[in-house]
Amino acid sequence: MATANFDVQAGEVAVKPRERSLGQMAFHYMTTTDHKVIGQMYAFTTFAFFLFGGLMALIIRAELVLPGNQLVTDETFNQLFTMHGTVMLLMFATPLFFAFANMIVPLQIGSPDVAFPRLNMFSYWLFLFGSLIACSGFLTRDGAASFGWFGYPPLSDSIHSPGLGGDFWVLGLYLSGLGTILGGVNFITTIFTMRAPGMTMFRMPIFVWNTLVTSMLIVIVFPVFGAALLVLAADRILGTHVFDAASGGPIMYQHLFWFFGHPEVYIIALPFFGIITEVLSVFSRKPVFGYIGLVGATLAIAVLSVSVWAHHMFVTGAVNLAFFSFMTLLIGVPTGVKFFNWIGTMWGGSVSFDSPMMFALGFLTTFLFGGLTGIILASPPLDFHVSDTYFVVAHFHYVVFGTVVFAMFAGYYYWWPKITGRMLDEKLGKIHFWLLFIGFHMTFLIQHWLGLSGMARRYADYLPSDGFTWMNQFSTVGAFLLGASTLPFIYNVWKTRKAPMVNQNDPWGWGRTLEWATSCPPPRHNFESLPRVRSESPAFDLYHPEAASIEAQSDAFEKLGAESHETIEPAKKDGV
Amino acid sequence: MRKEFWIFLCCGIFFAIVAPIYWVVSPHEISGAVPFGMTALLFFMVSFYLWFVGREIPPRPEDRNDGEIADGAGELGFFPPYSWWPLAAALAVSVTVSGIAVGWWMFMMGLPIAALAMIGWTFEFYRGRHAH
Amino acid sequence: MGRMKLAVMAALTAAVLVGCSPLDESSANRLAMPAAGSEEAHTMWYLWLGVWIAVLVVFVVVFAMIMYAPIRYRRKETDAPAPPQIRYNLPLEALYTIAPVIMVAVFFFHTVQTQDAVTRDIENPDHTVEVIASKWQWTFNYLEPEATQGEGVFDQGTPEALPKLYLPVNESVRFELISPDVIHSFWIPEFYYKLDVVPGNIPGKEGPNHFTMTPNRTGTFTGRCAELCGVYHSRMMFEVHVVDRAEYDAHMKELQATGQVGRPQGGNDAMTVAGLKSDGADQ
Repeated sequence: MATANFDVQAGEVAVKPRERSLGQMAFHYMTTTDHKVIGQMYAFTTFAFFLFGGLMALIIRAELVLPGNQLVTDETFNQLFTMHGTVMLLMFATPLFFAFANMIVPLQIGSPDVAFPRLNMFSYWLFLFGSLIACSGFLTRDGAASFGWFGYPPLSDSIHSPGLGGDFWVLGLYLSGLGTILGGVNFITTIFTMRAPGMTMFRMPIFVWNTLVTSMLIVIVFPVFGAALLVLAADRILGTHVFDAASGGPIMYQHLFWFFGHPEVYIIALPFFGIITEVLSVFSRKPVFGYIGLVGATLAIAVLSVSVWAHHMFVTGAVNLAFFSFMTLLIGVPTGVKFFNWIGTMWGGSVSFDSPMMFALGFLTTFLFGGLTGIILASPPLDFHVSDTYFVVAHFHYVVFGTVVFAMFAGYYYWWPKITGRMLDEKLGKIHFWLLFIGFHMTFLIQHWLGLSGMARRYADYLPSDGFTWMNQFSTVGAFLLGASTLPFIYNVWKTRKAPMVNQNDPWGWGRTLEWATSCPPPRHNFESLPRVRSESPAFDLYHPEAASIEAQSDAFEKLGAESHETIEPAKKDGV
Repeated sequence: MRKEFWIFLCCGIFFAIVAPIYWVVSPHEISGAVPFGMTALLFFMVSFYLWFVGREIPPRPEDRNDGEIADGAGELGFFPPYSWWPLAAALAVSVTVSGIAVGWWMFMMGLPIAALAMIGWTFEFYRGRHAH
Repeated sequence: MGRMKLAVMAALTAAVLVGCSPLDESSANRLAMPAAGSEEAHTMWYLWLGVWIAVLVVFVVVFAMIMYAPIRYRRKETDAPAPPQIRYNLPLEALYTIAPVIMVAVFFFHTVQTQDAVTRDIENPDHTVEVIASKWQWTFNYLEPEATQGEGVFDQGTPEALPKLYLPVNESVRFELISPDVIHSFWIPEFYYKLDVVPGNIPGKEGPNHFTMTPNRTGTFTGRCAELCGVYHSRMMFEVHVVDRAEYDAHMKELQATGQVGRPQGGNDAMTVAGLKSDGADQ
């Protein structure tokens, strides 16, 4: 057995935090092409939008505590929920995908950067400027867009919603979407062309697979969204009549919007499924269970998600109910497969309950219930009652918040040492988790009941005689608890900013994927040297060669490239 | 490039099958059918490109199960150390697009800046100090 | 063992839920939904009951596995550093791919059955009402040529009172949904049904959206707009009075007598906004 050149476990590369003047920092952040820095910029910006969107949510919930208008007018309320949806979906969740993809994917495939570093930066600036433009509606005379984040005409046209706020919403989202498309192209190219030797497609980490599939979805649907937005802008600003009611415009817009809108929620979900897969695998000390099944399920989810858009239009009376109901129900199958793969990853493992794992378990619980209410909504005769009610609001918060927010925090706690070189505090992490979990379920579980009993969504107000009051109050208390749960996290980030550097490649000890084979944080172009890649867990094979695989080889498995590592030798440290 | 090609091709085949089914069950529904059909074309276009490129380039170390790190030794590519142009281009595009809402004077202001940014970006590493 | 547990759970769930009915006093026994007010609602009710049973069983089973796995296999000091690195199990994976397909197929079958029953067009409905949804007001044109000697009568809201929709019990009513401005949605929660009111032309459809329902219990319900339509979307409610035929006919006569004749089409014809006051007081 060849011996290693140096003690990889302890990792001798101690990275000194650099000291820069303010001007140097500004220059650095304005001109960087380093994917790791760009990823951090995305992370910081999306978290700021998360807080902004959350603030709007708290105002909404505070207003709904009692019948009558206490805090805001109806118009302001409409602006609030419109921008809350827009911010959370398009300025928080979607760019957050780019945050993680940027920070992690090149490290996981062993490449020095992404394929198009300047395009990467350009995407970030487009996201930032587009989002700021869309939000600047709040500063205009007539306020921000108030026609719902879907932007349905005729409500969103220049007759029914005149004003700069709506115009900025449309154009800002177009710009931001442009950045997203370019980012998607960047990641497909990176994943296809810049993998390390030996890293075949079926040895890539699941997070990289999910990034690839998400990028494919982005490339399909964001152009359609961009087109719909440009046409809406033309109708609003240039006086065209494409979406006029007389020529079937409203329904046409809905088809275009939801052709984008449904895959968009999978764009939001898939990368975070990938994060959960990574976390479950590392903290159970086992490889991913059913890797090929997971890849197949992810691809199936992606192609199916493009085929189900009109389940958002069941109550328009303008779509074929059976086709879309069938396709939507079908998506439940690969999603179920993923669930069982995740459970199988934990099963028979050696599970430690660090903060990332807690958030992963929180995700599993929450998404399970949200996915099941999605099955209910997939059935038109059931959807007839609950469409456009709080039942739908509850459903999508369960699936989206359950996926994006829980997995975001799982990813942050997990990859914090890799990106920053320091660990976040464990105890604060646990407090953060429990406050978030309890606050979330308090807020949204009861909204299922609220919707079933007759409260419609996007309502600024309700009658005392409706009987909705106590449920709204319960939900609001939960919402404020949920809001408060962010505080331990912010404090954690602040408190550990001067914590000791970990000074090792893999502080968790049981990392599997390639990013754990380089220092924390990595050097500018990621790897001083790369280990040999012979399975989907190259860092694990490097650090734990004694953990031999015990299951038999199957022909199919071998053809796809994953080998057993009965006789892995620590790789010679050849330079890249 | 074979697996990459197959991924795009199989997805394209799925869309090529489902889009006509959709057209049959929802006749005259063009707003959904057209994007659906074009998605199939998009995937076929990309898969054709991957197939074509895959034929032209030599076998890559990352496609080999026994690929050694040393096989990938040598220059990996050119990675700009830093660049002002993405920021400049993004500002220019933002000004141009916002100008559609704010006023045509702003749009006209943005256009030449955007052109300059595009040219500057493209030629950044072919001119002067940073020439390849 | 696993199958036993499943059967027991299904039986328990069924026992609990069988105490449910769409007309029960307690809202819990009505699965949180309003008391059913139409024949079609009763059809949909059974699908609701079935799906909740299935959802709860699946949730409990999978959630139990999610909780069991990390707790049973939690790391203990005495454990080996790494557990067996099992990567796949083809029979198991095949099973948990096929089982959901079967469940989904069964649900789809019931879905289509219920959906066809609810959305079928009745050849000659007993009554037809033209529903005009405009910002932020409802107008109900009763198309009753016999009752009113060829003149249409209508109900509309006023600044003091919500618009009222009168319907005769146990008689089929066809609703024609028309909007002169933006998209609205006509929702009567007791019917477990809503349909969007789309302005202009709907691609692929002749004429406006319509549906037919048969209310089967008398009572007063609150109808709502269920598609964001502007500033006062939340205040665009209407009262549904399901009454016996005699009272319905009397109401038609009353409308004729008080001069509410014609067939206004919303928009400029609609009177000022009626709805709940913004200080929260009831109408």
